[in-house]
This record gives sequence, C-alpha cells and structure tokens, in this order.
Amino acid sequence: MSNLLELKHVTKDYGSFKLEDVSFTLPGGTILGLIGENGAGKSTTIKCILNLVHQDSGSIRIFGQDNSGSNWREDIGLVLDESTFHDLLRGEDVGKILSKSYKHWDADLFARYLKQFDLPGGKEIKTYSKGMKTKLSIAAALSHHPRLLLLDEATSGLDPVVRDEILDEFLTFIQDEDHAILISSHITSDLEKAADYITYLHRGRVALQGGKDELLESYGRLVCTKAQLDGVDRGFVVGTRSSQFQCEALIQKRCDFQRIYPGLTVDPVTLEEIMVFTVRGDAK
Amino acid sequence: MIGLFYKDLLVLRKQMRTYLLFILVYGVLVIKDVFPLSVLSGLVVLMGMMLPMTSFSYDDLARWDKYAASLPTGRRGIVAGKYLLSLFCTGISGLIVLVLLIALWAVGLSEENLMDLSLTVLASIGITLLINAVILPLLIKFGAEKSRIISTILFVTVFGGVMLAGTLLKQSDPSFTLPAWITDSFPVLLGVFCLGAFAVSYSISIGIMARKEL
Repeated sequence: MSNLLELKHVTKDYGSFKLEDVSFTLPGGTILGLIGENGAGKSTTIKCILNLVHQDSGSIRIFGQDNSGSNWREDIGLVLDESTFHDLLRGEDVGKILSKSYKHWDADLFARYLKQFDLPGGKEIKTYSKGMKTKLSIAAALSHHPRLLLLDEATSGLDPVVRDEILDEFLTFIQDEDHAILISSHITSDLEKAADYITYLHRGRVALQGGKDELLESYGRLVCTKAQLDGVDRGFVVGTRSSQFQCEALIQKRCDFQRIYPGLTVDPVTLEEIMVFTVRGDAK
Repeated sequence: MIGLFYKDLLVLRKQMRTYLLFILVYGVLVIKDVFPLSVLSGLVVLMGMMLPMTSFSYDDLARWDKYAASLPTGRRGIVAGKYLLSLFCTGISGLIVLVLLIALWAVGLSEENLMDLSLTVLASIGITLLINAVILPLLIKFGAEKSRIISTILFVTVFGGVMLAGTLLKQSDPSFTLPAWITDSFPVLLGVFCLGAFAVSYSISIGIMARKEL
C-alpha cells in the first residue's frame, strides 16, 4: 500500500496565522479526515497541497512527486469549500469545459452523476441551492477518474440523506487500493462513518493524529465529581468542563486509566468530544 | 488552456451578443449620418478591452482562480487562456468592424479609400493589444476591481502626458514635424511595437501568476 500523499513538516506563516510543522501520510485505499475548528488550518493545508499558496518550509509529495511540478494534477479530484463555478454557467457547461481540460474526462459518467444527484444540467448554476452546487462539484471531481480526492468541507452544505449517499460514493471510490481521499470537515460524524485516519488540527498545529479506531479507543469521557477529578493524575486529562453538579474530562490512555482508577467510569468518546475538550483544555 | 478559454466564451456569451448589437446599431447610425464612419473602429477597442476585463470580474466573483490553478494546465493555463481570450475578442471585433466598413464602403457610404479604412481597423487592433498588454498583468496581480482604478490613473497619466508633451513641443517649435521615415513606417512600427508589448506582457503575467497566493 503506497502513500498517495505525504506532508512533512509543512509550515506556512501568514503573520496573523501560522500553519506549523504539519506532517501526515495518506496511504492508498484509505480516507484521511482532517478535522479542526474554523480557522484551525484545514483549508490552508489543502491550499499548500495544491500549491495554491507557497509553503515556507517542509515538503509535499503527491503520487511520489514534489507538488511544485504539475504531472499530478490530472489525477486529482477537487471539491473546495465553496462552489467555484460561475453562476452564469449551466450544469452541463461544466462538463463541456472540463472535457477540454482533462485527458480522461468521462462525459457519460458526468451525465450519470448529474442524473444520480438530481441536478438539472440545462439550468444556470445561479438557480442551484448550496447543496446542489456541492453535488455538482463532487460530480465534476469524480468524472475524470482521479486517484486522489481532495475535499474541503465537501459535505457541509448537504442534508443528512444526501451526505450519506455521497459518503457511500466515497467508500466505493476507495475500494481501489490505488485511490485515496483527504476530506476536511468539522462535521465529525461523517468522518466517524468513513475515515480510516484522523488528523486533528488545532491553531495551525497537529493536535492529534492516528487511526480513527485507535483514537476512539484510547480516549474516553470521564464523568465524576470535582473531588474525584482532583484526585486524578493530570497526565491522563486532556480537557475538562465543569458544571455545578458534575465534572467531565477527556481522558487519554483509557485502558491504563481504568486499571489505575477502577472505581471511575469512562464512557466511549466521539471525535467531536475530543475536539471540544481539546479546545477547552487549550483555552485553560 | 482551451478549457479555460472555452469557459470564458460561455460566461461572456451574453456580453458578446450585446456588443454585437452595439456594432450593428452604430452601423445604422453611421448610415443615418449621425456618427462618422471612424466611430466603428472605436468599438474594436471597446470590445477588445472590456470583454477580457469582464471575464476577470466574473472569475473574482466565483473565486474561480483557485479551482482553475488546480486543473492540469495549472497557473500557466490561466494566463494563457486570458491572453488567448484577449486576442480572440480583439480579432473578432476587428473582423466584424472591417466587414461592416467594407459593406458601407461598397454601397458608397464612405469617400475614404478601402486601404485607409482597413488601416484604421488595424490601428485599432494594435492599440487594443497595447492597452491589454498593460491591463492584463494588472488584472492578474490585483483582480478586476483594483485594476480598474489603477489602469484609469495610468491611462490618464500616460495619455495626458503624451498630449501635454505634444502641445508643449508644438508651442516651443511650431514648425516641428516627425521625421518622414517615422510617418512612412508608422503602421509597421505600431504593429511591431504592439505585438512586442503583448508578448512581453504575457511573460510578465506568467511571472506574476507563478508567485501569486490564491
């Protein structure tokens, strides 16, 4: 299983915001979820990968080639966080334009996606809803048989039914071991369904990364009293939140914790809770 | 590049129809003697300059460049597409106006000879290329909105400066005329200068786009 995407120590300094020392790899046949709060650096990371902004240091390799070249572009499918197709174009115009841009454009496949996603190809894009525009971008991204999909908040404008349908499409896509998906999202439930790996960006740095299942297994949510929490080794505690009646804490190394504190109950945790607790822990 | 050029044609199809209508309306007004025949050459400059500028406005509005730069042709394709669009708009408007001028001349609505009319259109094409050679790098660097202001200031300064220099020269030496070799070879010199400026402008734009953060 070769890596389709490799980032090593990527840094980009905007002055007011710095993406710092971001490293991860994306092996073939997998989905990597890039999570983080708004402004954490998810879109900047994708822009660095696409060479839309020039990183200050570090290296990015796509299909084993440095991203400063352009040979990899033919095999990339891209959905950005907002529709970039002009409102005056019609859905079917997008297919005509991209058929002149990609060598392997599949007009039949594009037409099939338009039909599958209920997109009226003859209507101007300005009449589309946000969800329809996202679906058009996804159809465009998939219709030239790419090997790597880069999706920046691709599911955020979609209703749950369509999101599920799109996620199924992504899961089918990665059945091929030579395909992979990088998907940035703050809708962590989508990533819990689909992602194999998670990289959590917080304030421009990688706060957490690893296999999704291992992450969810190694973290837990402790609900206890303040006195109980005070008695816990702080090395286990990633973040806390307190109310008048109880305290909650995100615990790492869950198995070790339960061995040391058998009287305390640690519940399974979601990616969203990991995010919220990490941000709060950091704020404290 | 062809894909991006084709995208611009699709986006601009309504504007193109409007400008075509303009040319026909002005053609009728020339027949009715409301305007002189030379006004049609001005439409070449208008179309050749405004259509590419409008395409940049639409691209800015859709935030198209960051998607386009990720396509196989990359950043270079964006620049090549815009220069091709500029050549196309200038060429096609020049051709339409030339055909119209020939038709008006053929029915006896112009007393000028056909060569002079053709040279007028060619001069308009050259000037349009020259203007675009200045505007396109600005549009790529600053986007449509800022470029309008910058290019207006630039043109007022340059054309105002040239007019002022000419007037001052005439006042200081009323007998001053340009050397004969310049006036004789002016069409060729203008053509070479405009094409050269367009080629240099293209190289500058490629450099600007390569460094731009999208």
